[in-house]
Parts: sequence; C-alpha cells; structure tokens
Amino acid sequence: MDIITLKNAKKYFGASPRMVHAVDGVNLTIEKGRFTAVIGSSGSGKTTLLNLIGGLYRPTEGTVIVDGIDLSSLDEDHLTVFRRRKVGFIFQEYNLVPDLTVRENILFPLALDNSRADMAFFGRLTELLGLERYLDSFPHILSGGAQQCTAIARALMTRPAIVLADEPTGSFDAKTSQNVAGLLKLTAETFHQSLIMITHNLELAQLADRVIRPEDGRVVSDGR
Amino acid sequence: MKDTKNMLNTLTRRSFSAGRIRNLIAVLAIALTAVLFTSVTTIGLGTYESLTLSMQLLKGSKSDGDFRNMTAEQFKALSDADFIREYGLRMPVGFLTNTDRHNIELDVMDETEAELLFCNPSHGSMPQSADEIVTSDLALRDLGAEPKVGGTVTIEFTAHGKDYSMDMVVSGWYEATNDQTSTMVAGTAFREANPDLFRYTYQDDREIAGTYWSDIVASGTVGLLDNMKNWSRSVGGDPEDMEAPNYLPGIVNEMTNQSIDPSILAMGTVFVILFIFCGYLLIYNVFDIAVMQDIRRYGLYRTIGMSRKQVKRLINRQALWLSCIGIPLGLIIGFFIGRAALPTVMETFSTEYKNIAVNVTPSPIIFIGAALLAALTVFVSTRKPVRKAANIPPIEAFRYVESDTTRRSTRRSAPGASLPRLAWSNLGRSRRRTAFIIVSLMLCVVLLNCVGTAAQSVDVEKQVDYMIRTDYSVVNAVSTNGQKGFTSREEGLSQETMDAIASQPGVTDAGAVYKNTKEDTNVTYDFGIIPTLDPTVEEETGLTSAATEDGFSFNLGEDGRPICNVYGLSETAVARMDLRDGETDPHALYRKMEQKEGLLAGVDVDRSDMSIQKVLDFVDIGDTITVYKNGEPLLELPVLAKAALNGDDEEIGYTAAGTFKIGGDGIYIYLPSDIYEELYDDPVVYKYAFNVEESQRDNMTAFLTDYMENTDPTIDFLTADSARESAEATQSMISFVGSLVGIIFGVIGVLNLINTVITTILTRRHEFATMRSIGMTQKQLTEMMVFEGLFYALGACILGLVFSLILGFTLVRGLVGGIWYFTFHFTILPALITCVVLVITGLIVPALALKFFNKGSIVEKLRISE
Amino acid sequence: MESILKASGIKKYYGKGDTMVKALDGIDLEIERGKFTAIIGTSGSGKSTLLNMLGGLDTPTAGSIRIGKTDLAKLNGEQATIFRRKQIGFIFQNYNLVPVLTVWENIVFPISLDGQKPDKKFIMQVVKMLGLESKLDSLPGNLSGGQQQRVAIARALASKPAIILADEPTGNLDSKTSDDVIGLLKMTSREFHQTIVMITHNPDIAQQADRIVRIEDGRIMYE
Repeated sequence: MDIITLKNAKKYFGASPRMVHAVDGVNLTIEKGRFTAVIGSSGSGKTTLLNLIGGLYRPTEGTVIVDGIDLSSLDEDHLTVFRRRKVGFIFQEYNLVPDLTVRENILFPLALDNSRADMAFFGRLTELLGLERYLDSFPHILSGGAQQCTAIARALMTRPAIVLADEPTGSFDAKTSQNVAGLLKLTAETFHQSLIMITHNLELAQLADRVIRPEDGRVVSDGR
Repeated sequence: MKDTKNMLNTLTRRSFSAGRIRNLIAVLAIALTAVLFTSVTTIGLGTYESLTLSMQLLKGSKSDGDFRNMTAEQFKALSDADFIREYGLRMPVGFLTNTDRHNIELDVMDETEAELLFCNPSHGSMPQSADEIVTSDLALRDLGAEPKVGGTVTIEFTAHGKDYSMDMVVSGWYEATNDQTSTMVAGTAFREANPDLFRYTYQDDREIAGTYWSDIVASGTVGLLDNMKNWSRSVGGDPEDMEAPNYLPGIVNEMTNQSIDPSILAMGTVFVILFIFCGYLLIYNVFDIAVMQDIRRYGLYRTIGMSRKQVKRLINRQALWLSCIGIPLGLIIGFFIGRAALPTVMETFSTEYKNIAVNVTPSPIIFIGAALLAALTVFVSTRKPVRKAANIPPIEAFRYVESDTTRRSTRRSAPGASLPRLAWSNLGRSRRRTAFIIVSLMLCVVLLNCVGTAAQSVDVEKQVDYMIRTDYSVVNAVSTNGQKGFTSREEGLSQETMDAIASQPGVTDAGAVYKNTKEDTNVTYDFGIIPTLDPTVEEETGLTSAATEDGFSFNLGEDGRPICNVYGLSETAVARMDLRDGETDPHALYRKMEQKEGLLAGVDVDRSDMSIQKVLDFVDIGDTITVYKNGEPLLELPVLAKAALNGDDEEIGYTAAGTFKIGGDGIYIYLPSDIYEELYDDPVVYKYAFNVEESQRDNMTAFLTDYMENTDPTIDFLTADSARESAEATQSMISFVGSLVGIIFGVIGVLNLINTVITTILTRRHEFATMRSIGMTQKQLTEMMVFEGLFYALGACILGLVFSLILGFTLVRGLVGGIWYFTFHFTILPALITCVVLVITGLIVPALALKFFNKGSIVEKLRISE
Repeated sequence: MESILKASGIKKYYGKGDTMVKALDGIDLEIERGKFTAIIGTSGSGKSTLLNMLGGLDTPTAGSIRIGKTDLAKLNGEQATIFRRKQIGFIFQNYNLVPVLTVWENIVFPISLDGQKPDKKFIMQVVKMLGLESKLDSLPGNLSGGQQQRVAIARALASKPAIILADEPTGNLDSKTSDDVIGLLKMTSREFHQTIVMITHNPDIAQQADRIVRIEDGRIMYE
C-alpha cells in the first residue's frame, strides 16, 4: 500500500527571472512502513521535497497525496491539522521547546490536538529511546543525542502516518550519528512507521530500505 | 480541551519567566499607559469633587435636595418615598437675636441631617439632653463663649411672637465653614422639652418654627426635581406657589448635581483618544518586537501542529498576564501622582472660589475607568503583532529576516559604505516601528511646546488689570465670595476701618466707593427700559426682578423702575477707570457731574478683547436718564461718558454676584460721592481702594491681615500682588499638568527607543557578528548604533519643531484665543530644550545598550543564528 | 615556498569535567602562499572551529597561530579586528552580506570601515570577473544564492587580503552553481595570487584543491 504519492510535483520560489525550481516535476510513490533515505548535495531540492510531503508547502503544480489526502486542496488551517495528525517532524537542530520539559515536549503535539496520550505507548517509546531518566529535565541540559531522541519521541508520539527527518544527525559526530539513526530506525520499525530521512551521510543511508537521490529538483536515482 | 489549556498555560508561564527583560519592558509599557490614564482621571475627577465639595460647603449642604415646611405627617411619609435613600430631620427655630456679626440659626436636627449640613461636631458629641447644643467655633465666639465641650452659652431668639432666652450646654462644636452664618444644632430632646416652640402653625401664620424640613440623599439623580415635586403634591403640598398656605417646596441642591459642560466632555474625549494612541504606540512596539524575537519559535509551534488560533491564544494570554501585573501597578502609581498633583491644580481655582477644599478619594470610577482604558489599549495594540505571529508560514519563520528594503530592488550606491549611511538604511527595516518611535518622541516635543506656548500666553497683567485697579482694595468679605456679593447696608465698611487704614504710612490716592444696596429701593432710574415680564421676588434679597422682551433681567424699586447698580466715588477713582466714549477727560467729567450736568455710565466688557459688550450697552451718550426718588422725578442726568468696566469697577476681582443681585443686568451708574450721598438715604461704603508706596506694602499687608483677624473679621482685601500670584497660578497649573503629560509621553518615547535599540542588538547579533568578522571594530559598531539612535532623535526633533510651529499657530492660538486671560505669544524654547534632551538620549541609549546586551564572542554570536 | 600561515598545537576545549568537549585537540598546520587548501570532515569534526581560529574570530585554549609575521595571540580585540579586515577575507556558507547595503557598498564595506579609499580599478576587475557589473546597485535580498556568494567573494578579495578563509561557500548552492562559484573563486585567487583555505563537504570540490586536509574529532586525519 502506498502511503505517499507525488505526481509531477513542482515547487518554485520567487518570480522570474530569478525563479528557483526547487522541486521540478517529481513522481514518487512510497509504501507504508518503509524506511526511505533521501541523499543529495545542498541545494538539490531534498529539503523542499520533504517539506512538500510534510505539508509545510503546497506544491506550485502537481499533486501530493499523503495517506489518501490531497494536500494541494487543503487551506492553511487544514494543513496545520494535517501536520498535527499525520506527520512527525524531526529536524537537524531538534527544535525542542526550551520552556517545556522532555515529557511535556513529547506530549506537546497531542496536547495541542486535545488528544489523550496513550501512556503505555509513551512508556515504551521513551524506554526504547533511553529517555526515562530525563523526562522531567529541560532540553538544554541534555546532550545533543538525547535531545534528538526527544524530538524523535515527539514525532512518533502522535502515531503519525509518516515520520520526516531532515538530517537528524547533521550535528553529531560519527558515533552519535550511528546511535541516533539506529534508534530512529528501530523505533520506526517497532511501531511500523513510514520514515523518510534526509542525510548527507552515505553510511546512514545504507540503513534504509530505499535510497532516493534528487539533483537540481529531480529524482536522478532511486535504489531499492 | 483541558490538556490543551494546561499545555498552553505551562508554555505561557515558562516563556514568561524566560523573557525577563522583555516582560519588564512590557509591564512598564502597560503600567505607564495606566499611569497616564489614572493620574489624569484622578486630577480631573479630584478637581470636580473638590469644586463640588467647596460649593457644598458654601451652600452648607451636601444633600441631593431638601423639602421644607412639612407637617409631622408629611415628614413621616418621607420614609415611603422610593426615590429617597436617606433623609434627615430638621426643625428650624429661627435666627438667634443675641449675635453681633455672625448669623446663627437654631435648628433641631438628627445626626443624618447634621452630617448632610456639615454641622456634626468634630469635637464632642451630638446633643442628647434638652439643654445641649452643637455649633461652630465662630458662633460660640460671637456669643462670647469659647469653643469648649461642656461650656455654657446663652441664646436668645423669637418664635411664635414670643422672645426666649435659654442657657445651653455645649455638647460639641465644629470648625465654621464660612464667616457669615453657622447652624446651632439642638437635639430632639429639646423639642420634647419645648412643645410650645414646635407647634405647627405654618398654614395660618407662616411660622417656620414647628415645621419639618428634611435634606435627602436620592437613590438616583435622574428626574429628581420631578420626583420631588410629585411627592410634594402626593402628600398634599404645593411645590410651586410660594404664597399658598400648603407651600411645600422640593429643592434640588445644584451644588451636588451640577450639569457637566459638554465642551469639557469633548476635551476629555480628545485627551482619552490621544492617550490611547500614545499607549498604542508603545505597547504595539513592545509586542511587535516580542513577536519578532520569537518568530522562529512560533514557526516551530506551527510546524509541529499548533493552529493559528492556538498561537493567537498563546500570545494573548501573555498579554493578559502582563496586563494583570502592569495595569494594577500603573493604577496605584498613577493615583498617587494624580493626588500629589491635585493641590497645584486646585490653586488655580482658589481665587475664584473661597474656602476651597482639596479632596480626592480613591474612587472606583477612577480605577475601573483607567483599567478598562488601559486594557482596551493593550487589546488594540496587540492585535496586529498577534496576527503577524499566527500568519507567518512555518518555514518562512525559520529564515525570517526583518527587512522592508526588499520592496525596493535597487538603490544608488554610495562610493563607500559610511556608518551614518548604514545606520540610516537600518531605520528602513521596519518602517512602521521607526515611524512609531519617531511619532511618540515627536508627540512629547509638540505637546511640551504647545503647553509652553499656552503657559507663555497666560496674560498675567491683563488678569491683574481686570481684577484690581489699585494696589489694595478693602471690602466686606461677602464681596470676595463668588456666591454672596455685597448686597446690604450692614455689609458696608465702617468709618473706623477706613480711618485705621488711612492712618497707615504710605497710603496714597485712597478713596471710598459708595454703592446702593437692596435697601435702596426708593431710588430708581428711567433710562428708557421698563421691564415688565415675569416679575418674581428674589428670596435672598427680597427684590422684585422683571425681564425685558430681550431677556435681560432688572431688579426693580418700589415704583417699578430699575434700581440699577449705582456707585459714588472720588475723582481719583474715576480717573482710574477706562473711559471710552463721550467726555474722556476725568477731571472735566467729574466737574460736570458735580454740577449735576450728567452721569458716567459703565458697560461690561467682552474680556477676550476688552471691548464694550454691545448687547449690554443700553444707553447712548447724550441720552437722558431720569432719577426718581420715592416715586418722584428728582434729576435729569444725560449720559456724559461711557466706561468699560472691569471686575474692580463692578465689585472686586472676578466676583460680580453683588451687582447681579442688586441691579441685575444693568445698568451701572457712576456718580461723584457728594451727589451719591445727597441722593441716597444712609449711604454706605462697599470698598476702600488705595495705593501704597512700594516700601510700605509689606507693612500694609501685615496690618490688614492683623486687622482682619483681630479687629474686624468681616473685612477682606485684595492686593495687586495677590491678584498677580493667582494669575501666575494658572500659568503654573498649565505648565505643571502639561509637563506631566508631556513627560509621560517623553518617557514612553524613550522607552520605545530603548526597547527598539535593545531588540535591534539582540536580533541583529548575527549581523553584527558578521560585520565584526569582516572587520568592523567595536568602536565602529557603537558608532553605527549611536547614529541610529541619533537619527530617531533627530527625526523626532525636526518633525516636532515643524508640528510645534504649525500647531502653535493654529490649535493653540485657537484655543487660547477663546479664553480672555490669554494673549497668544508663541515660543519654541520648550521644543528646543526637549530636542536637546532627546538628542542626548538618542546618543546615550544605544551606547549603553550595546555595552550591556552585546556580550559574547563573535563566534558564539555567529553560531546563535545558524 | 614560504608559509603564509602557521598553526601549531592548537587546542580548543569547551566546558569542564565530564561534559568537556574537545573541539580541537592538537592541530599543526602550515599553509603556503598562493595555495588552495581544502579542509574536509564531518559535521562536528571541528573544522569550522579551526577556521575561526585561523581568522582570529576565536582564541585557542592552547597553541599559537601566526599569519605572515603577526602572532594572533598578541593582538587585543580591536587590533585583531583591524588585522582581520586588512589581512583576511572571509566567505561564509550563508553569505553574511549586510542586507541594507547595495552590492557595491557590501564589497567596499571592509575598506570603508578602515577609512581607506577603495582601489576602484582593481575592484571593478574583480567585479567583472565575477559577472556582477549589472548588479552593483542591487540589494542582496534580490540576488540568487550564487550571486550573493559571488558578492561575498568580491568582498573578500576587495581588500587584497593575505589569505581567504571560506567556510562551506557552496553549502547552500545547487551543484551547477557550486561548480561556477568554485571555478570563479579559483580563477580569481590565481589571478590575484591569493591563498585560500576552504571548508567543504563536497568531495568533488575538494578534488579541485591543491591540497586536502581531513579533520576528524579535532585532529588532522590525513592530508
């Protein structure tokens, strides 16, 4: 079953003559429960592609369908609800809310949606990511790896349809990178999540079921 | 719902404690706005309250109204009247007959009534037994007793045609509220002990003793008069006809229930709008900056699923919390500032109203009103920044760089990139904010200059000239009392007083001025106008007044002709007057008048330009005025000259109450003393005017003060110096209140500037670090920021000076043009001084801010924003 | 060849005790005049910290850096700034142009800060080579990333510095633009005999350098 379908998706920025063709006609389907890595140089359009799938942008042209929802037809408020319910984001710079504890950060998207948290799931998730002892700490005293694990837990807590990770290990040394990426893969697999991860690191890309390589706004290679 | 709320609450609370400096500034901003509202409302309401209280003291009652001449049954029925919240019992007996100068009215009262009439004892207690009384210290002294609880005093009075003499015990006393009249309070035991005295016979013989009176506090003042009249009729009284045997008037206390001037309301509204605008300038910037600083944070929230509504709620909640701290703080500070400022404001009124009582209570109206206005300002100011935060697309928020310059794609390059030029460009980043700062600083410049111009335009000499023509003027105290005025022969000055003054060293040009009184109804004048409409008997003077077709009112003598205001004066006094038409040489005029060849007519002036008021100009030069005595024509006097009258010519200072009560709207006739003495029976002097050599003035003032206190307490005096002081008080009041508001505006502007500069430093850290990394020294960075501050200040100064000029010559000129004691006189000095202060502030603030807020190494700062 | 830059025993530690991070842990590096050196390494390897040290933006915990004849440790804050604007040209990944200044003003900004007259002839030569003639009056916000980076290169070259330090100059650019920019950077530096030290992620770009230094966990792994 396909969780994501892109048909001739395009995203342009600015106006001519300086228009940037960040994503320039991408056709792509991704199956449910798979781990997909996106590699490519800076400026290749991979982040824009991820943002399109995550509903942070609407496509300039073409369609983006995630879990049966056509994103190009949603307005801003519906996109917000879409993101909240269907997408878990993980960023290179963690983007934790500094004023909330680890526990609160993880539960934050649920609270925003007025949903009751599944505390058993929360327990398993935090155990798997090794966060139990930090739950009442504030993010800034945690190591980078632990902070990123918090972000991973936050992304997974809502049991989203897809998890999008934009260079989640970009700030780590080689060893931490392996650990964090491994944990990400492990949790995604444990809870049958569809995971899409952007990375620079070819070794990490090896962990994925499938590797996509966009270049200048188009997918130039797609290895399974 | 509960979870979301909790989470948003937690978030609000935590981000709240994180942004200390920003919150401090926001609280300050909100507090300052509340201070502005509270202090001004306190001053305004305090002025109103104090004036009301002073008027009530003069009238001797703070009730909403009173009923008179009731029977015991009617009085009982008061308890059923639903429009009355509280009422007192008063049974007048009459005036004491054994007094010298002070009038003492004996009344039986209950405690409520005594409280309403300002005669509850401040020392001792209300009378209990039949022989106890409470009265004022002045009353006791007049009766030859000392104000002492337990002392005895003899009182004599007449009631029901019988004379009484009693020895009473002083159970308490209070400080007199005025020099003329006091009330002596006896208790109900006194009534029980003297049933004869309180027989109700009013319907037969109009005897007041035995009637019930009552001052009331109404539950609502709307339609009070109608309610009172209806009630009077419902208990079988006649509220209208004074002659009716069942006359039962219901009288509204105009001192308590004054009507509010619509122009004052309009001015108040303008100020409120100005203040809201000013608060808006500040609070908007504070929140705009706060949102801008946190824009990435909001982007993050939006990315992980916070809806726009939730972002709005989050910021609104912060605004609410800040308001909850800022507004009460501002209310308290503002109240104390306002209360401290009030006496200065009140001083202005003290020359026109004697016995002014400064009074301000922490009224809930002040606080609720100011709090609502401040809350409204916060609400209005935060709306746009909140929308901005909620609407920013999440991804954009991450690379949000504040800059409006992208609107223009190119600009002519300068050969080099100078620091002032760089600073100038930076102002263009947020044009709205830059405009706000400049406008709020500019408002301070303009406001202070307008106030300065207005204060400068207060024409002190014009006021002094209007109030008094000589160095000194001695009159009966009633003449300096705006409510009373000189009306009766017994208020005339005694020969001893005048002799005592004349014997003082340095007195020159002394002259007594005679004036007709309410007793002089046998001398009347025919100047072609015989008013016949609506004849009514004035309660206070017993004179009959009637109106002309044109609505002018004249008081009439025995033969139905106007009695006019007639003065007898010396040649020196005539020489001091402002002769406009006809024979303007005072010496020649006086000679002719002494020969009974004519008279000098006076006409009120329009104080704005000191021209003769045409509508009150009833006679022309050459018209003949016939003088009647006891109904017979006695003299035919043509109008030889006309004088433009000031306050001194009519009565003294600003009071003209006496002339209105005697002559009505006209006319003023001036005769030589000899002729006046010949014409009037029992002529009395109302004023003794004289100059004093400068070296002797202090002595004279001391002498008069002492004389007034110890020898003749009925006199009062006005000097040119005190008139000048009171005129200057107006000037200082304008300066004071205006500066207060101007300085608050200035503080708001400077706070705006500080906030912006700090924000600039915090948000542009990365940019500063970039510039430092490519070779800008710390000194050059400081220089650049100082230029930015300077540009704000200079912008405000230039605009401020321009608007000061424009508004000075339009608005201020228009405003002061409408008030007679102003003569427009433009000044730019306050604006220039303010500008210097602003420029210095503009230089210092960025330098200090940079020192405190731009810490850390370049690398750290470069990293922060990445 | 003489060495223009000599760093010896550079260490940079952050924090204390258990949480101490050794960003740089003993680096010795000598760079010859007129050479193009690429520094590669993963994120967090310490390469940016090293570059900041070389540019005098940061001070090492231990070790010394000499550029030309100047020992950076002997300069105080303001002196270091003045040295930097005369001797070092910086190029950053995110361009770091001053948004309110035009392209021309940005290029001459460091020279203006020094109170000097810019060498117009030379700068126009650089501008032409970088293809920026028509953009001189534009504001940076209206330029594409590649154009902005070319402005940054022009700014770095304008003061004829002894050495140019570039921190992932092509990090934000697509592959074609990256090639263009690197080509221009190489060409201009050769033309004007500039020394370049550049950090990059991109192995293709690193291949174009005269020398490649790889840093891992705060140490030089190989050259």
